[in-house]
Amino acid sequence: MIGSIPLSDALLVSGALFSIGIAGALLRRNAIQIFLSIELMMNAANLALIGYGAALGTREGQIIVFFVIAIAAAEAAVGLAIFVALFRHSETIDVNKINLLKW
Amino acid sequence: MTAGRAIFDLAAAVAIVFSGLMVVGRNPVRSVLSLVVAFFGLATCFVLLLAPFIAALQVIVYAGAILVLFLFVLMLLNVGQEQPDRTGRPIQTVLGSAAVLVFAGLLLGMFRGSGAHVPTPADPISPSALGDPAALARLLYSDYLLHFEAVSVLLLAALVGAFVLARPEKVS
Amino acid sequence: MGGSALTFLDWAIVVLRVALPVLVLPLFVVPLTWLERRGAAFIQDRPGPNRVGPLGLVQPIADMIKMFFKEAITPTSADRFLYLLAPAIAVFAALSTFAVVPYGATIHVDGREIPMLGADLSIGVLYIFAITSLSVYAIVLAGWASNSKFSLMGGIRSGAQIISYELAMTTAAAGVILASSSFRLSDVIAMQQGTWLGVIPRWNVIPQFFGFVVFFISAFAETNRLPFDLPEAEAELVAGYHTEYSAMRFGAFQMAEYVNVMVVSAITTTLYFGGWSLPGFHPQGALGALASLLVFMAKSFFFVCVFIWVRWTLPRFRYDQLMKIGWKALLPLALANLLWIGALEMWRMRA
Repeated sequence: MIGSIPLSDALLVSGALFSIGIAGALLRRNAIQIFLSIELMMNAANLALIGYGAALGTREGQIIVFFVIAIAAAEAAVGLAIFVALFRHSETIDVNKINLLKW
Repeated sequence: MTAGRAIFDLAAAVAIVFSGLMVVGRNPVRSVLSLVVAFFGLATCFVLLLAPFIAALQVIVYAGAILVLFLFVLMLLNVGQEQPDRTGRPIQTVLGSAAVLVFAGLLLGMFRGSGAHVPTPADPISPSALGDPAALARLLYSDYLLHFEAVSVLLLAALVGAFVLARPEKVS
Repeated sequence: MGGSALTFLDWAIVVLRVALPVLVLPLFVVPLTWLERRGAAFIQDRPGPNRVGPLGLVQPIADMIKMFFKEAITPTSADRFLYLLAPAIAVFAALSTFAVVPYGATIHVDGREIPMLGADLSIGVLYIFAITSLSVYAIVLAGWASNSKFSLMGGIRSGAQIISYELAMTTAAAGVILASSSFRLSDVIAMQQGTWLGVIPRWNVIPQFFGFVVFFISAFAETNRLPFDLPEAEAELVAGYHTEYSAMRFGAFQMAEYVNVMVVSAITTTLYFGGWSLPGFHPQGALGALASLLVFMAKSFFFVCVFIWVRWTLPRFRYDQLMKIGWKALLPLALANLLWIGALEMWRMRA
């Protein structure tokens, strides 16, 4: 094992953060909160990747995280643009009330 | 317990606690700020896991740009607090909570023992050199050049898409 | 971390290295305010403060005492926690940026090397930009938590201005990083040793002049100084994001602004003007380190004077002009600079 942090520690933290993110994404009704929870889940995955990179002594973990961060930025920009367009139209951020496509 | 592990535990605790605060908070602005603190904790964890460059990127891009964008949108649209749920959706809440608990349990159970099964690295790089930005850059621009260019195009597409989506509708 | 036993002296040295700038920088704010007011008066052809003490030198102390005794009014519907947090973040970010800037040559004493900077991080320059990203939060939070339209507009505008000019600044600094092949600021200074033709120092400003111009102009925008201070302009937005702040909380924002000016000047000298080094100057021991510290301070002081000079000379940019300059002029110029430096490096490596 490379480095002073054992892999299981990093993975436990990553798992905890991911679970918290899933809880937020499933149980909140506020669109922004759901989005933030998704960002949290991505960061949890980043932590797991970095942890493995450190444990295996390879740089691939960091490279993948680099790309994940860039993609998350792109996704946040588009997601927030969608949110702005939605909010402009319906004046609410409660995802339960945005139900125009419901039969 | 070396100093490194103590700091990692502290930073991880900060990340987890503030993520929890983010998820349960009522006020969206406070949620975003809690997440910023959580990301700082995560960045510290990255540093201790020998990835200082990624930690800097996390702070610059994630905490310093993406979450600032969130804040701008929240403040400019004056998004209010979440109103308490009148209709209540008990099935959704119960099933959601059950799903989260099961999933969390599975994850934690899986991760608790995995430290023992890490394969020994074939060609390990020394810890101090693992996070070297120059070496990362060399890797990024040689083996992963295609990925790099693809992500650039993706960012351009996102830029254009965000602009088009958020434009006020033309009055015809 | 860990390893061989670190003695108490080692810890004391580390603490001193980090704590000294943090304690000294706010002290320098006091004469800086005097310099600003006298400099403004000189440029505007009037005497300036000259009542309190000889040449008005005690004026800043009087101002400080006044500020301590003012009543601190909190707006009623403000989010109190965020309202109080914002100036704290501003001061914290301003002081933390200085942690990676080398303010003197390394002292070699008793077989021990004492580098004169807080921490020689392998990601030195990136750390500076990370902390700059943090300072955006101080301003946006101040604008939001004050619960007033002027503050919110000022906060959002200032935040947008800072993140726009951050791009140009980072790209300009990328040219410097390319030239020194490293993020460490001590490596950046090391690459600027020596001279061309025996007389011109190898400072980065010469091959990267346009990069320097972009960086320095972006620095004005980053620190909210004129000509980029529309978000806090009196005639436009009352006082922008710090409208609702009074007494020491306002004092905290002012101190953060002046510390930012000093830190940005220090960073500019380190990246483009060789930091603490001079051609032909090889500091030895503690006395040499002191001399290098004075050299560093003199160079930074020059840029601080330029900040003050420009503030009282140029008119303010309108907000759309400001954004246009940042995105359409400075960013392409910085990118062109990057291409130019890349070409230079390839030419240099052709052997």
